[in-house]
Amino acid sequence: MDKAISVKALTIAYGAATAISAVDLDIAKGKVTVLAGPNGCGKSTLLRAIRRLHQPKSGEIRLGDMPISGLKEKELARHIGLLAQSPSAPDDMSVEELVRLGRYPHQTMLQPWSAADADAIQAAMFGTGVSHLSERRLGSLSGGQLQRVWIAMVLAQETDIICLDEPVNHLDMAHQIDCLDLVTRLNREHGRTVVLVLHDLNLAARYADRLVFMKDGSMVADGAPVELMREELIEDVFGISCRVIEDPVHQRPLCIPIRNSSPRFGAAPQS
Amino acid sequence: MPLASSNTSIRVHQRIGRRALFSGLAVLLLILMYLSLAIGYRLYSPGEIWRAVTAFDGSEAHVVIRDLRLPRALMAPLVGAALGIAGVLVQTLARNRIASPDTLGLNAGAAFAVVMASGLFGVASLPGLSVAAAAGALATSMLVFGLAAAAGGISPLRIVLVGVTFAGLFDSFVNVVLTVNETMLDQLLFWLAGSFADRKLNLALNGLPFVLVGSGIAFYLARSLDILQTDDATARGLGVPLGVVRGLSFVSVALLSGASVAMAGPVLFVGLVVPHAARALVGLEHRLQIVAAALVGAVYTTLADILARFVIFPREAPVGAVTAIVGGCLLLVLLRRRAA
Repeated sequence: MDKAISVKALTIAYGAATAISAVDLDIAKGKVTVLAGPNGCGKSTLLRAIRRLHQPKSGEIRLGDMPISGLKEKELARHIGLLAQSPSAPDDMSVEELVRLGRYPHQTMLQPWSAADADAIQAAMFGTGVSHLSERRLGSLSGGQLQRVWIAMVLAQETDIICLDEPVNHLDMAHQIDCLDLVTRLNREHGRTVVLVLHDLNLAARYADRLVFMKDGSMVADGAPVELMREELIEDVFGISCRVIEDPVHQRPLCIPIRNSSPRFGAAPQS
Repeated sequence: MPLASSNTSIRVHQRIGRRALFSGLAVLLLILMYLSLAIGYRLYSPGEIWRAVTAFDGSEAHVVIRDLRLPRALMAPLVGAALGIAGVLVQTLARNRIASPDTLGLNAGAAFAVVMASGLFGVASLPGLSVAAAAGALATSMLVFGLAAAAGGISPLRIVLVGVTFAGLFDSFVNVVLTVNETMLDQLLFWLAGSFADRKLNLALNGLPFVLVGSGIAFYLARSLDILQTDDATARGLGVPLGVVRGLSFVSVALLSGASVAMAGPVLFVGLVVPHAARALVGLEHRLQIVAAALVGAVYTTLADILARFVIFPREAPVGAVTAIVGGCLLLVLLRRRAA
């Protein structure tokens, strides 16, 4: 396996509280890796750490052979793009103005705008199907359109690796599928390495080449969706008793939750 | 890709439009600066103004033009441009469109320093008060930025909270001192209201380098400021070193507002209103926003300075009052338009 990123014995703490502890993980080049787990399991923290938004307490993250701690800000931003969880920009910013921001890591004082920038912006808007919206204000877009525009911004960054933190959180079902299909296409057609954080297990199983389960700050399991989508493992990680069947359309495992089996969520009294 | 080519043509069209817009504003500014020399309590002809500058003969008309009108015709646009740029920076820094240099407490800090200098050290001359004002604004900016940073990471919200707190504190001190000491109130009222009248040319020349350096920093940061309009995670994801950019922006704001308050005293509302007008004209890219804000700010204060000579003719109104009245109305129009 060709590694895009390798995480070694990574521990991250917020003050005294340990957010993730001793995580080892290799992210395969050109694949879609999905980090999944219940709320507070540390999956977003791990993603943000991969993009160096958190300083590790111990351990190391390597991009290829280089430790990311040694890279300059812009250099790192030319390798890894990030679509943050609930990103924000002014309502009166135009779509094109936002997408243009993605070129920042490629620009210098002496070379502010090049033909390559213009091409990357056009290609990113075309690839995400938002070219016709370029003059529109962000505040006038629907949630689905807005998420496409944000993806276009990250795409314009032209990074080999794209990290997306809960990209479908606030979208309805049609736009969730739309958005994740788009991300998959970027992976299949452009060979980008994609790291996704998703808390919806079925979406995770459907779109992942490789699935990573996290629980209480530790990595619990790591493998292809068919290997990980086992009833006892899901019960252990997510605290639900469930049945797993095969999705008749996509031939991916599909989890049908039955009931909350975890006392920490205050399970309903058994009768 | 037909879509792409039509987009490009729209942008080219916009770029020509912007050039025309900037030239138009520059011409308007020159006309206003000329009017600032020509009209007021007395009217002067172009020939007389020309002679006063090139062949000064010591006559009353020439003294008025060279020593009274010329400094304010230069200082008003300088202060307006500085406050316009400072306003853009503060609103981006605070991610808040109702923030302004006032919000960061810089004017209040300057006023406090002026009152202290006057009360404790008996400073009464305008140059002395200017130095005190600049020192007050700079000290306040360091205090606000230092405290916001010390509380762990300089978030936009924390900057505004600390700034508003100090603005309130300093304003209260000033009010208490001036209520107790009425003589001082009389002496300082002309400064506290903000004005371009009776300033020496030297004062504008001393302010100029600070304004130039402050604007230079703002230009240097333009691309990073574009990105500061997004959330912190996105900005860092794009490779913007947030702490460095925010720190430098603060230095720029301190230089620009410090120089302005030293030259003219607190001129209210300019830093608040001008960025709104600039964004309405050129959009959200800071490279353009900063140029537009400088031009609009200069036009605005120069116009206000001319109006100040006529609103309560034959006496002069403080320019700060005029900018506040005009700015308030303009802001209401802008807000209404956005709400509609």
